Amino acid sequence: MKILYVEDDPRAAREMEDIVRREGDTIAVETNGADGLKRAGLESFDVIVMDRMLGDADGLDIVRRLRGSAISTPILMLSALGRTSERAEGLEAGADDYLAKPFEAIELVARVRALHRRASGREHSAVILFGAFECHVKARTAFRDNRHIPLSPREFELFRYFMENAGEVVTREMLLRDVWNMSFDPQTNVVDVNIGRLRRKLEEGFDSPALETVWGTGYRLLQGRGQ
Amino acid sequence: MLLSAVLSAVLLAGLWWITDQTIRDSFGASAREGVDVDLTGLVDIYASGGQAELEQRIADRLAMVPIDAGRAHYLLADRSGNPIAGDLARWPDLDPQISESGMIAIGSRTHAYARATLISEDLALLVAHEPPDRAFLLTRVGLVFLLGGAVFVGCIALFAQVANVRVRAKVARVGEAFRRSDEPALDRLAAPERPDEIDQIASQASQAVKRARQLMLAYRETSEQIAHEIRTPLMHLDSRIQKAIAQDPALAARANLVEARGDIKRLVAMLEALLDIASSKAQTGDTRGMKPVDFSASVRQICELYQDSADEAGYRFEWDVAGGVIVPGDEAQLGRIVTNLLDNAFKYNRPGGAIRVTLEPGPRLVVTDEGPGIAQAEREKVFERFYRGRDTDPDIQGSGMGLALARAIAERHQLSLRVAPTHPGATFILAPAADMRDA
Repeated sequence: MKILYVEDDPRAAREMEDIVRREGDTIAVETNGADGLKRAGLESFDVIVMDRMLGDADGLDIVRRLRGSAISTPILMLSALGRTSERAEGLEAGADDYLAKPFEAIELVARVRALHRRASGREHSAVILFGAFECHVKARTAFRDNRHIPLSPREFELFRYFMENAGEVVTREMLLRDVWNMSFDPQTNVVDVNIGRLRRKLEEGFDSPALETVWGTGYRLLQGRGQ
Repeated sequence: MLLSAVLSAVLLAGLWWITDQTIRDSFGASAREGVDVDLTGLVDIYASGGQAELEQRIADRLAMVPIDAGRAHYLLADRSGNPIAGDLARWPDLDPQISESGMIAIGSRTHAYARATLISEDLALLVAHEPPDRAFLLTRVGLVFLLGGAVFVGCIALFAQVANVRVRAKVARVGEAFRRSDEPALDRLAAPERPDEIDQIASQASQAVKRARQLMLAYRETSEQIAHEIRTPLMHLDSRIQKAIAQDPALAARANLVEARGDIKRLVAMLEALLDIASSKAQTGDTRGMKPVDFSASVRQICELYQDSADEAGYRFEWDVAGGVIVPGDEAQLGRIVTNLLDNAFKYNRPGGAIRVTLEPGPRLVVTDEGPGIAQAEREKVFERFYRGRDTDPDIQGSGMGLALARAIAERHQLSLRVAPTHPGATFILAPAADMRDA
């Protein structure tokens, strides 16, 4: 995966380079809005990560201009302004996702990957396959080892999201936002309980686990095959 | 207006009375003067021409009827008052010895000013002049005062009305500017084009409001900055703990570190809630950026999300959501009100108790639980930030922000959130602020 990162804070840029390279991806860094805009026009990237507050420009304007010149690369906007209204502004300008600073490295990686996958059209397939799991998107049915697993509509949405992000860590924030349309984590344990239900259904009658809890961060769908 | 008209009418009536008296006095004075001149003339005629001449002249004068003066009356009598000449039949009650003067009756209705004098040892002469006809003049003066006065009082009333309307309009304008209380409206008040007394007061008040707003803004910026600055190192601390756990999964202190991460998350959530409360309060009444939100769909989706948690906790969870309830606002924020109310109900409900959610058009959202309820004295306090009065159970922990945030968001959307007087069991009602005031 090839990422363009537009960020005027050199320390933040270095940290990001470390994170992305550790994951085995390529990253290009531009330190101001004008250069970022030029680079995005010249080369093709899989995902653009754009800081909102740049020295020479407002990241929102850069996003608008990119979209105006028909560049449809997925954009993740980073900002120290994390209020819901600012989030909405970013998305309206044409960004695909919005992450408030400071963020956890794993959250950023997970979001960039999710954007990449969404753009490469994996979730539009009628059937998503991963390990022992099958997700029939149109028929809204789930299978493990060719055995049908009855899921409620809500459970199916959750399962589909895991399938779309198969093998990757999915954070609580991503689940809340993308599956349940919430921008915060409620006090009631709704995430754990909903995950717990899905996990029981996916694992009932099988020997190997289906969902792994990544401590304090999120969850990952496993291959579901006996090791 | 009525007061100014009455005052000017009273003033006019006083002026008329003074004018009337002055005219009457001046007529009286001229009558007295006329009598004296006439009498002196006749005395001279007697002295030079004798009694016959005098009688002749009296007859001449009686024959002459003046046009613009009052009629004259004469009486020449002997010492015992028997008439010799003149038109009066009887000597009035005036002593000629001392040249007495005074008002006498002529016939039954007329009065005249008269003076009597002795012109010889045996003869007494009396001259009387009726006052000239002043009724016409007085009537005219009265009419002038009446008509002029009516016009004058009308004008005063009109001016008072116009001034009244203008003052009212101005006060309404000033009131509206303070109600809107936005920067341009306050600026217009601060620098009026042609300032009068009201403008001066409004200008000073608007400057005071602007200063207060600036202070509030500075205060808010500072607190947002503090919250933000604390949040950043907390997140860094969290990443370090996370790295430590990742590097050594067999770490003995792992459970403690995971708990520490939970604490950090709670702290960050509290700071975020504080920031959200501040920004919602700052946006109260500001409808910019609001869009019609399908509140029915939001509430239904949230209830579905909480269903599993209710099952697991052993609560009966019932929701009755009317379709098509549209609320202008921010979808994420409106959803936050519902989740915070549900979080609260889940926290305090009794084991096995029911939690009910109803949404009706209005919008009117009611969330009830079967917990211990909220005592009368606490029903407003639960909406204060950091208030944890009900958290007597150490297992129930909250940030003390949830209800404060829910209310701040409600107020931003011109909605009101309050606790209904039910006991036991708590009932929270979200409804338009105007309806709540009527209730």
